[in-house]
Amino acid sequence: MLAAMVAAGTLIASAMQVAEAAATQRIEPTQIGMGDSARLTIAASGSDASSISPPMVAGLEFLAVAQSQRIESINGVSSASTIVTYQVIPQESGVFTIPGAAPGLSPVVLTVNPSSGQGAAARGGSAAFPAPSARPSTLPAGSTHMTANGTAFVRLRLPKHELYVGETIPVDIQVGMRDGFVASLNGLPTLNGDAFTLNKLSSQPQRVEEIIDGRPYTVLTWHSALAAVKPGELALTIETPLTVRMRTAARPGAGFLGEGDLDDLFNDPMFQNFFGASTEKDLTVASAPTSFTVLALPAHDRPADFSGAVGSFSLSSDVSEEKVAAGDPVTLRLRISGTGNFDRVTTPMLHDVEHWKTYAPTAKFNAEDDIGHRGEKTFEQPLIATQPGMQSLPPLTFSWFDPNSRRYVVARSSPLNVAITGGTPASQGSSTASLAPAPSNQTSASPAGDRDDHGLRPDQMDIGSTTASLMPHYYQPAYIAAPSLLLAAFSGAWFWMRRREHITWAEAAQANEFPQTETLLASMEEALAARDTTRFFQAARSALQGALASQWQVDPASITLADVEARLGTSSVTARVFKLADEAAYARATLATADFQWWKQLVLREISNEAMS
Amino acid sequence: MNRRTWVLSFGAVILGLAATGGATWAGTVDRPAIRSAYSAPALYDLGNFYARAERPAMAVLNYERARILAPTDPDIQKNLSHVRESVGLPALQTGWLSQHGRLANPNTLYWIGVLGLAITGLTLVLRRARSKHRTLLAGGALVGGILMAVSLGDAIATASTLHEYVVMAATPARTSPTSAVEPLFTVPLAEAVHVQDQHRGFALIRDTQGREGWVARGDLAPVIPSQDTSTGAST
Repeated sequence: MLAAMVAAGTLIASAMQVAEAAATQRIEPTQIGMGDSARLTIAASGSDASSISPPMVAGLEFLAVAQSQRIESINGVSSASTIVTYQVIPQESGVFTIPGAAPGLSPVVLTVNPSSGQGAAARGGSAAFPAPSARPSTLPAGSTHMTANGTAFVRLRLPKHELYVGETIPVDIQVGMRDGFVASLNGLPTLNGDAFTLNKLSSQPQRVEEIIDGRPYTVLTWHSALAAVKPGELALTIETPLTVRMRTAARPGAGFLGEGDLDDLFNDPMFQNFFGASTEKDLTVASAPTSFTVLALPAHDRPADFSGAVGSFSLSSDVSEEKVAAGDPVTLRLRISGTGNFDRVTTPMLHDVEHWKTYAPTAKFNAEDDIGHRGEKTFEQPLIATQPGMQSLPPLTFSWFDPNSRRYVVARSSPLNVAITGGTPASQGSSTASLAPAPSNQTSASPAGDRDDHGLRPDQMDIGSTTASLMPHYYQPAYIAAPSLLLAAFSGAWFWMRRREHITWAEAAQANEFPQTETLLASMEEALAARDTTRFFQAARSALQGALASQWQVDPASITLADVEARLGTSSVTARVFKLADEAAYARATLATADFQWWKQLVLREISNEAMS
Repeated sequence: MNRRTWVLSFGAVILGLAATGGATWAGTVDRPAIRSAYSAPALYDLGNFYARAERPAMAVLNYERARILAPTDPDIQKNLSHVRESVGLPALQTGWLSQHGRLANPNTLYWIGVLGLAITGLTLVLRRARSKHRTLLAGGALVGGILMAVSLGDAIATASTLHEYVVMAATPARTSPTSAVEPLFTVPLAEAVHVQDQHRGFALIRDTQGREGWVARGDLAPVIPSQDTSTGAST
């Protein structure tokens, strides 16, 4: 507030000078350091005065600190001129173009150096966002996919769209923000797609100014490396969170006096700054989908020691000393240089070499670019000869897949000879031992070769079978239907067969294939009257068969004494009737009248019980 | 057509459905293209990438996803344990059923269970038809029952993964779903937790030590992606 009052006081005089001058916009000083601020002065007259609006440039904050207005009336003709002063506070270093704050005003350029103070200007460049003089990309330009309102875009620049699984390709990710509309970048661009991996992005992208369709954009560029983890026709997009500043609609200007004065107050830039006439909105800007053809690494002719390296490499080897005393260590070095996925460049070095003790190797990567795509990886393995004399080291091999020639390459180093002079020989025999931990900037590789530099088991080359969803089939409604249908089918079949048997039995009974119970009971009465024991028990057995068949859902004629004994017991009345019927048929036994009556009651009771159950 | 002929025809149709028709039907449910398809090796390689890039939470998330499809893969187990140890997490603790009940890819075991159901159902129907080979049919029913039991055990064992999440950033756990209360404890980065309830941007979790608390939902990533959870195979 104090600054505003001071600035307002100092500007009253200058306001008088520009009353009749044309609209102007100037910034002082034109170069500042981080932590400093500059002053942007905008002067406009007549109708232009009402259209002054706060500038918006990503990376700069504008704070309205003073406003003055001069009104003149000469010979009855009124005129007004307005001067607005903003304090410009940089949020990051770089070269900024501030667009005209009112029609007819020319843009001005402000250079913000990374260090505070004018002295920093001489050093040039920016630590946060490198100056536009940074190296241009050699990648083909990607298509620009603007947001609907044209405030921002994200685009990818790639050297090619066909690659192999594991192959890394350089990629430029560019985020364009229209000056005056994008307030801030709220995070680094992220990959949208699980089939690709992107190397960690730097927090210091390159910054350039670019004119697209006549509009100024600030374009931030990240250089990185992209790799695919599975084959197929794939697509990816890049997303970036932004905050866009949106102005509320300005009320149209009216006359100089009366109601127009109120409008001028509302449209006053300082008023808008104080009362938030511009609003901010967070949104995510995505690039246009970029299609890739990702090829699987061929299984044919794949070397046994292939570790997943894809690229173009060359290797060389040497030893630290060509002549050492026995017992003194010598370092075997293998250098693999070129371009490709160096995180997959691994080698177990030497094991079980005759007359040598081998130790765990170390690996160190020196990148020749800022994305780790080009460089040299050096493996160093300490060795100690166990016998004096001229000792040879066998050649080292390394295999990789070359995407250009589309074949596997196996490179082999030359064998090396080391002269071992007399001294304190190491323990005899070949062995592998552990040395002290590797230096902090190096990582050790397991002599067994089953772990990489990071202590991880190696990648799996074959992609295997795929599934559309990680959700197990058990819990997917569409798949629950399959066993349900099977269960319903079997249940239906089982009940259908049961019903079919019942109908068959009923039809047989209806067709009089088996005598009705009433007929059989009548036959028993006739046998009783005739004192015919055989006929009596045969009729009784048939009546009981009919009753049991109804309950057991089987053919009555198929019920035997064995079935009855198995189900009802050997001492049951039914079993005894079955036995007596057999005995009567063969022995021709006779019963007293009382016995006939007694057996008849028993049979009737059994039939009644079967019917009840 | 008599009853025996009908039963045999029915059995042939059912077995055909289980053996071949089921696979064809599944093909129509699965996505026809490889796009967005999951594969255990690809997820494992992705986990390795994140482990090398020193992003342990993403590495653990992808290893856990790979473990769903390949529960017995020793490489996945080793690297998952290695990454967990590298961030100071305790050794993996799994229940008896998760350790012994998971024998293969759950989708493979699902189809084995369906085949077991088909065999059991068919043998029971044939027994109903009073086939002469009752002992053979009883053996078939037993085999089918075993296949179903294996599949059922796997289904129960994998049920826990439905609610498994990985902590993407160390996050405080509180007694209630609000930031206003003091944290009970901090759930470490890359820890695998089970979500028991959710409420307005918070999730009630239980970690591997049995502790429970409400954490911000945004700090968790589901082992089974949410689109799979919400829409199943049709996504």
